[in-house]
Amino acid sequence: MRFPLHVKAALAAGLLFAAAPLVRASFTPPTFDDEEESEEGEESAEEDGPDTRYFAVVGADIHTGTGEVLRGATLLSKNGKIQAIGYDIEIPGRDFQADVPSAERGYTTEVLDATGFRVYPGMVAIESSGLLGTGGDFRDSIDPFDQNMVLGLGAGITSTGQGSSAVKLKRYVSDGTDVDYDFDGVVLRDKWYTTMSYNSANSRRSLREDLERASQYIREYRKWQEDVKSDKELKEPSKKGVNGSVVEVLTGQIMAKFRADSREELLGIARIAQEYGFRPVIDGAREGWTVADELGRAGAYAIVTPRERRDKNELLVRDGGSSIENAAILHAAGVQIAIKPGSRGVSLGGITGRDIMHLPVEVGFAIRGGLPEEAAVASVTTVPARMMGVAHRVGTLAKGRDCDLIVTDGDLLHYQTFVQWAVVDGKVVYDKEAELFFAHIRPRAETEVAPLQRLDAGENEEEEEGDEDDDDEKDKKKDDEDDD
Amino acid sequence: MVARLAHSRPAATRRSAFRSALCGALLGATAGGAVAGVNEAKEAAPVAVANDTEGSLANATEASLANDTDGNLANDTAEAGVALRAAKVLVCAAEGPQAIDHGRVLIQGDRIVGVGPAADLAVPDGWTEVDCGANWLMPGMIDLHSHVGGAFDINDTVYQVNSGLRVSATLRPANRALEVALASGVTTVLYIPGSGSNIGGVGVLHKTGPGGYEDVVVRDPGSLKVAQGDNPTRWGYGMSRLLMNYHIRSSMRAGKAYARAWVDHEEESAPEPARRLNLDVYRALLSGETQISTHTQYYQVVLASLRLLRAETGFDMYIDHGSFDSWRLGGVAKELGVAAILGPRTVLFPGSRRFDTDGRAEGTPWGFQQQGVELIGFNTDAPVVPQHELSVQAAMGVRYGMDDSGMGSVRGLTIVPAIVAGIDDRLGSLEAGKHADILVVTGHPADPRTSVERVYIEGEVVYDAEQEARRW
Repeated sequence: MRFPLHVKAALAAGLLFAAAPLVRASFTPPTFDDEEESEEGEESAEEDGPDTRYFAVVGADIHTGTGEVLRGATLLSKNGKIQAIGYDIEIPGRDFQADVPSAERGYTTEVLDATGFRVYPGMVAIESSGLLGTGGDFRDSIDPFDQNMVLGLGAGITSTGQGSSAVKLKRYVSDGTDVDYDFDGVVLRDKWYTTMSYNSANSRRSLREDLERASQYIREYRKWQEDVKSDKELKEPSKKGVNGSVVEVLTGQIMAKFRADSREELLGIARIAQEYGFRPVIDGAREGWTVADELGRAGAYAIVTPRERRDKNELLVRDGGSSIENAAILHAAGVQIAIKPGSRGVSLGGITGRDIMHLPVEVGFAIRGGLPEEAAVASVTTVPARMMGVAHRVGTLAKGRDCDLIVTDGDLLHYQTFVQWAVVDGKVVYDKEAELFFAHIRPRAETEVAPLQRLDAGENEEEEEGDEDDDDEKDKKKDDEDDD
Repeated sequence: MVARLAHSRPAATRRSAFRSALCGALLGATAGGAVAGVNEAKEAAPVAVANDTEGSLANATEASLANDTDGNLANDTAEAGVALRAAKVLVCAAEGPQAIDHGRVLIQGDRIVGVGPAADLAVPDGWTEVDCGANWLMPGMIDLHSHVGGAFDINDTVYQVNSGLRVSATLRPANRALEVALASGVTTVLYIPGSGSNIGGVGVLHKTGPGGYEDVVVRDPGSLKVAQGDNPTRWGYGMSRLLMNYHIRSSMRAGKAYARAWVDHEEESAPEPARRLNLDVYRALLSGETQISTHTQYYQVVLASLRLLRAETGFDMYIDHGSFDSWRLGGVAKELGVAAILGPRTVLFPGSRRFDTDGRAEGTPWGFQQQGVELIGFNTDAPVVPQHELSVQAAMGVRYGMDDSGMGSVRGLTIVPAIVAGIDDRLGSLEAGKHADILVVTGHPADPRTSVERVYIEGEVVYDAEQEARRW
């Protein structure tokens, strides 16, 4: 059995229980990590270049996802990363260099005036299907014009787990000057979990064997790492019969995901996870409310569908079956809750409110069962981001995070609320009024100035000059009007 | 427990009363309503005033304190009742104020005897007051399309015309699905046969609470179930719309002729017709005692329904799905006095086989509302959508464009289905004289975040989330 290179790298570097690094599972290009880090690290010092994109949302109540709400604040991003959130933030091209033509400024700035609206982190759906591409490697299968992606963005989702990947709903939009599509940017993470099973006697036995062999291997490998320093001839321990994914789980690089509902399975998973020292992700956890303390002690994550209804087996003389209070009880016991709807895909058959387009409705049922609102929001933002190991990128709005956000006309979790704009990597990729689907429903009040503005210096004065840029600008404006 | 009530007025008359009352409300004659009921109740001897809403506006304004039920309440003054106090009372009366802030509802026996602002409506001496705090009160919800009342073998397709079959024979009160439904605030459902045949049989209106058949039945016949469009074509003999329409039209004509013959016999001493059990339901249809609930969805199918079941027969029928693009016929429905009970499919996304939506996602409640239909209700077709998710149907109606400023979402769960099914004399609103089927909820009932804390059916607590495990 061959190990992925990065497993070796992590083992060798002694990062055995560090947080999962942002790496590709199949192979690690030599410069992949370094590039990412150096870019981020030097960003502040970096000079603005012709490709520099500033994007700002102003006037909205910003819900950062960390518990803060900043009324009428500004959020500024640069090249898709959030640079600042707060007040008195100077927007390049608006608050300074406003008189310098954009061609000379060396950067572009878009400002979205969202006064009266709310800004939330783009939602992170822990699981979905069919929102973008067909799976496999999403860099290759992505359809950047997918209608379902538009509907997903319209539903407020900007990132999601699909298969074992964490991906972004990176819709292709171009303003005519920027025609690149960032295929690599679609994937946040290639493999965030491996599936483990505790459903049958056989799977229990083989799981325990896998865990035992993997932990044995890790112990031997660590010992070898020490010993080889003094004895260069010492042979590396054998990987024969060792499950590489299980090693990745035990070294904290990926998660172990179980599909389990019954109390017996849940207790077994909690026990085995504590024994081998990993935090299980439990998909389903229907009877979790009956063993919440045990799951809490095991540091479990749970993916629940609060609306699910299943009666317990009447032959069992104990609590069981589903409970509307499941999410609330698990949360109170310290289990981290992510919420997924009953239907993972986009449903256009007319029965509505039960699919991935209605994540907040599903979350609403957890609140009905007693889950605090803050934990409810976290169940579709920070918790799934954390589970997938991408919380440093998405799920909250903070300096350095990806500028993935939604602008809504009300409370994120109210059934009447619509996403007005969705922004991914600092680009507006969805505007309710510009799309066909929902524009006719409670349309936005018309404002004198278009809410989304591209700041170009001296627009008025340039009219007289009638240079080429100006014509382009007019054409663009005309196009915008046509869109409306 | 349940008083069996004679049906005094044909539905058509009731509808026109509703309409004139609505006009009255629009003209500003709304001052009475719940408050009038308050003053009456203050007299400590709640009086059930005989109701005659036909015609005059003056009567329409008194509708909330009036009732046309058994009228025994005045004699029950010795019995101490229960007063519920809550931050908000959703009255849901056919007309007049829809909500009272800081309100009180007086329950005596199985009936509501007074509703009004707590400041004006005192608790009578010797009564118990239950303070519901910040919670709201509202009438129990009503679903006019349900299949979970009992056994699931209620979809006979040996024949296409089964007007002699009755689902009431299969009713299992307080079964598990109904237990959860009750905890979700659904207190009355119309349990009907499936849609595998053109005429599926006779449904039964019943409550979701505990008890035997006699305790829970509201009305049998609840409706005559007619199904058009896709589902009956599963029959397997290659039946298409031609035969379907023939089945329905010929049945309607035969049924109506049979019912007429009985009327002639009773009123004009014509000879007694031979009894035909399979046509008896038409007598109830002709007298306005029951309605036709119609499985009908696409534009063309709904057009056929309106023509075959309403325009040609004069029977009282309602659209009972109205999915996809049928809202475009709202104007026709309105003209024929046909209500729309919508669900479980309430949004039309762009697709083939239907009207072009220009890419829009169109909510059917929005569409019917656009067409001026006033009686818009919601259904689940449980178990297609679980019975306990009735309120979500209203939420989705509003989400996809329905204007909720007139509280249409809540009305569509309460008074509208009550009017449409002809049971608004006892159910559907919190008004003096009606059954004390009351929900204590934590907020707006359409919001999935709102939970139901307590349910009263006919004055008795049948579910209390604080006292037992929360079911939903």
